[in-house]
Amino acid sequence: MNMKYILSLMLHLPPSLRDRRRYLRFEVICAREIDKRELLKEIWNSLYALYGDVGASESKVWLIGYHKSEDTNNGVGILRCAHDKVDEVRASLACIHSVNDAPVGIRVIKISGTIKGASRLRRQ
Amino acid sequence: MLNYFDLNVHAYPETDASVEELLSVAKRYGYTGIAIINHDEVVQEQKESNAVFYGVEMKANSVSDLKRKIKLHWGKVSLLAVHGGNDKINRAAVENPKVDILAHPCGEKGEGGLNHVLARYAAENGVAIDFNMNSIIHSRRGERARLLGKMREILKLVRKYNAPMILTTHARSIYDLRAPQEMIALAALFGMNKEEATGALCDIPSGVLEKRWKKERDVEIR
Repeated sequence: MNMKYILSLMLHLPPSLRDRRRYLRFEVICAREIDKRELLKEIWNSLYALYGDVGASESKVWLIGYHKSEDTNNGVGILRCAHDKVDEVRASLACIHSVNDAPVGIRVIKISGTIKGASRLRRQ
Repeated sequence: MLNYFDLNVHAYPETDASVEELLSVAKRYGYTGIAIINHDEVVQEQKESNAVFYGVEMKANSVSDLKRKIKLHWGKVSLLAVHGGNDKINRAAVENPKVDILAHPCGEKGEGGLNHVLARYAAENGVAIDFNMNSIIHSRRGERARLLGKMREILKLVRKYNAPMILTTHARSIYDLRAPQEMIALAALFGMNKEEATGALCDIPSGVLEKRWKKERDVEIR
């Protein structure tokens, strides 16, 4: 066996053992500009408040990216979660009503199994 | 293609949000129409659009006050809703066939509720029971636990007597609006399944607007 193959076995989980994930592309409507850190803190707060520590750990939430749109305060981001916890994560996103006292509304636009799929815009 | 409706939105002059703003955000979220029902007043400057419906949410402190208000608004607006919460008001609302919607029967903080008698009246008179998602979104901890518990109780009764139920946002600004799929996820928090929640956002609200529920049940409106 060559070295490269052994290394790849050590570094990557075999496909059957990897987590099944879903990537949620979401849109934030906001009264003022918010940054990624503030938003992430609020997402975790909401998740903890709704499902507790156990539920939050099961959903495996990770914020991949968040960008403000150029002309408005609104933004678009991508969130990763476990494939069977999409509805729970969606509910906790919907429960976010403000970030640092600025009112916000969050909506999931697209759900995909890959980051590429989630970031691809719908064909016009 | 499903037609989603949100039948409880509060707009200017009660709040700062204008009807145009609310409608444009709601359309982007995938709603077909919204109903503006401000507390105790009808919006004067009505925008001509087939996606906006106007009604009134009557806030009464006694049963006779509610009766007087129903008499005042009856026939003038397309939707009559009652601001629920108090047990006596809830009862007076579901007993009256002129009423279309009983908004948040468990109150905004979970103080009131429904019982089997009221649920049966609601089913007979075609009064839609409204589940207020805004109160779930804006409350935390004990208060939210109490609200979800109340809603679970109401849902059980509504299922048993087959009363119409609707999901609404009670939006007071564009940030309070939630997309239909988010509403379905929120409804799952108190045990409503996907089919029921979709019905409560599409079929039942359109039936309420067309008064289909009243016709099907042969409700006599005197």
